[in-house]
Amino acid sequence: MPVPSASRSGFAIEASHLCRTYRVGQKKAGLLASLRGLWKGETRTVEAVRDVSFQIGHGEMVAFLGPNGAGKTTTLKMLAGLVYPTSGTARVLGYTPWEREDSFRRQFSLVMGQKNQLWWDLPAADSFELHREIYSLDRARFDRTLGELVELFGVEKLTRQPVRELSLGERMKMELIASLLHEPGVLLLDEPTIGLDVVAQSTIQRCLREYNQRKGATIILTSHYMRDVEALCSRVLMIVQGALQYDGQLSGLLDRFGRKKLVRLQFEGAVPVGLDRFGECKITGPVAELNLEKSRVAQTLSAVVDMPGLVDLSVQDPPLEDVVAMAFGSGATQP
Amino acid sequence: MSSVPALPAFRPAGVLGAARKYLRIFRVSLVERLAYRADFLLGTVLRFLPLVTSVLLWSAVYRGSGNDTIEGYTCRQVIAYLLLVHVSRMFSSMPGLASGIAREIREGTVKRYLVQPLDLQAHLLAYRAAHKVAYIVTSVLPYAILFWLMRGYFEWPGEPMVWGAWLASLLLGFLLGYLMEFALGLLGFWFLEISSFLYLVNTVSFFLSGHLMPLDLFGGRMAMFLKELPFQYLAYFPASVILGRESTESMVRGLLVECGWCLAFFVVGRIALRFGLRRFSAFGG
Amino acid sequence: MEGGKDAGIRRGLGSYFRLLGAFGRFSLNREMAFRGNFLMKVLLEVVWLGILLLFFHTIFRNTSRIEGWNEYQYLFFLGCYYALEGLIETLFLENCVEFGELVRTGNLDFFLLKPIDEQFLLSFRHIDWSTAPKILIGGALMGFGLWELAEPVTLARLGGFLVALASGIAMAYSFLLMLASTAIWMVRNQSLMELWWLFSSLMRYPRDIYEEPWAVLIQKVFTFLLPALLVVSVPAEAMVRILEPAILGWTICAGFMMLLASRWVFRKAIRSYRSASS
Repeated sequence: MPVPSASRSGFAIEASHLCRTYRVGQKKAGLLASLRGLWKGETRTVEAVRDVSFQIGHGEMVAFLGPNGAGKTTTLKMLAGLVYPTSGTARVLGYTPWEREDSFRRQFSLVMGQKNQLWWDLPAADSFELHREIYSLDRARFDRTLGELVELFGVEKLTRQPVRELSLGERMKMELIASLLHEPGVLLLDEPTIGLDVVAQSTIQRCLREYNQRKGATIILTSHYMRDVEALCSRVLMIVQGALQYDGQLSGLLDRFGRKKLVRLQFEGAVPVGLDRFGECKITGPVAELNLEKSRVAQTLSAVVDMPGLVDLSVQDPPLEDVVAMAFGSGATQP
Repeated sequence: MSSVPALPAFRPAGVLGAARKYLRIFRVSLVERLAYRADFLLGTVLRFLPLVTSVLLWSAVYRGSGNDTIEGYTCRQVIAYLLLVHVSRMFSSMPGLASGIAREIREGTVKRYLVQPLDLQAHLLAYRAAHKVAYIVTSVLPYAILFWLMRGYFEWPGEPMVWGAWLASLLLGFLLGYLMEFALGLLGFWFLEISSFLYLVNTVSFFLSGHLMPLDLFGGRMAMFLKELPFQYLAYFPASVILGRESTESMVRGLLVECGWCLAFFVVGRIALRFGLRRFSAFGG
Repeated sequence: MEGGKDAGIRRGLGSYFRLLGAFGRFSLNREMAFRGNFLMKVLLEVVWLGILLLFFHTIFRNTSRIEGWNEYQYLFFLGCYYALEGLIETLFLENCVEFGELVRTGNLDFFLLKPIDEQFLLSFRHIDWSTAPKILIGGALMGFGLWELAEPVTLARLGGFLVALASGIAMAYSFLLMLASTAIWMVRNQSLMELWWLFSSLMRYPRDIYEEPWAVLIQKVFTFLLPALLVVSVPAEAMVRILEPAILGWTICAGFMMLLASRWVFRKAIRSYRSASS
């Protein structure tokens, strides 16, 4: 993998004080609306990304977390060179992304889970071939890489089938193969597992991990599935309302925002009344779930342990999704 | 001006503020109007530019031929004809009718004509008629201007009977155009994808109906043959009537034959609809 | 702009031709997946040609000349029109129509990530083979017209024809590309197809027919402002009528300028797309 000397030492990706504001105006049909769009008073300024700085080392796998519209995708697009920042700088493999030099564009890939870049009516193999021409890849190297990737993703039998006949998961695997054919050193993934079933999700996770280990590629991913994040990334960057709220280990996020514990009580018969005096209580059949501050867990346990009819009791961490949702909430006035 | 676009909050400071406010409203409204005009102008150019090139082409043809008439048409008559054909087509063209029916069949929504006391043929006719009226009303002004600009090319007939026959032929043209397209659309019961076929038929009809040039100009047997087809009633016949090229006898005969074609396509449509719906329900939609 | 010089060094002209070949091959594969539809489209073109020829034949039954064009000169013109329109439709029309769609869905992003000139990629990526027969048919008509005229084709005429034809193609392509680029800023009421049809209806007849006093303004506008009238007329004139250096020079110049202008507009559009997207 040719890497410019500037980035051989130091970080694969560096961003400092990235800001991105844009004006929104309604785009309607007709010359009329576009002319009216020239009217400055009709637009409103939105700060999509506010002063975001971070460094990512070579070979790291990092997740961007944040609610919808928080600025994750905008940040990714800035790193991909698709969007100009309003201010701030970034270096990706030693290049400034938005200058979009060909040699830079050869060295990374952006995959967007909701979009599709393969030719719909043709077999994926044809799209791969076209990819080879566009990236001017050497035939032997291309064949070798393609063989490896097809095997890795386990789609040997599917590359000759028109893409439109593939399932969503198979299609996503093909998209990923297409984006890895030129062996990018940096991989940017925007919701790569959106809408996929659990099996396909875990295959994709395994393949990404494998690719990361084999090639030492740097991977940034955004995902709504915490499962992806847990499986792939030890480091997370949390962006809420355009600003970086947290940069560190995933476990640190739990410590910081996971202030509650879930106490699960199972009773022989009906759940006795009055449990809600301990805190937030959810009852389903003979099971009650109490969502408690950590500090109150011990005290509550001693109070409920002697309750008549109690057959089982457990204390759990709340699901990661809930912690993250809480973290999103704490970083902003609105979700 | 019905609506003024919402303006950002504004703090008027006395007379000056008020003046600025109204100046701003004026500017926004002006831009809106101008943009509307530009759209309108472009649309008008789109519709009439081909007409201009035809006028020029035919002038050149007549100059080149050195004759005043070709197959009994003077240059002015050909140009008048090309304009009048637009009026015929305004009545007889049914954009999207057949493809709409085919889509309803493909997507299964045609089912509702099986369960509701609603006849597809009558329902769509009423719908189309309403749309035609609206379309014709909005087109009257641009056409009136165009006819006025090109008034030198026309010699309008004096007899009210000719005008009456023209009107009748236009209305029958609407009906025939509808019934033909309707029958075509029903092919969707038997063939899954007919959009390219419909496109082909439209292209052929464009030619056969005399939209391109007066059918007489093809000369001799070709012209005679084309006038035996139902397509001529969609464009050629009404234009020929108002140009005063038809004798009383041929006018009456033409209208009667046109009624005959309407009846024929009505029957074809009924039969096809019946068998089509039967087939549709057999396959379970 | 970005990376242009770099691309020039790394990527020879040959690789662009190879890529074009690949686009052609895969587009053909795609067409063959829907063979019935493909044949229908070809049939449609043949029917259109039939209508055009019948129209042409009928006119020349009644006249021997149209503004100085005799029957076979006119046939050559017709062939040239048909071939040129076919070429534009085969190479560019579908791509330009799809450009608006790419902007709307945001899929344009993918094309901007590729290490290749965006304009090249977006202009050529789909080849519409169903209109390619028009190029052959047009060529055949031109050949037949020349043969019937039985005048020797001098090198000067051939050269003038080829250069003017290339300029004509450049003008038509540039017009389409500029129209397509505006999709970034506005959603048009009139579709790109309709505007192309307007442009093509100006190419359809020799520019001499606009000689009438009331049409002079139209002639001037579409010769000097938006030179649609030159696209087919000038190459055909160069080959079968008079080789007029002034108009040939202007055609070449206009073709070149429009090409530059369209590239500028396209770049501007991409830049604006990148500024506006989030």
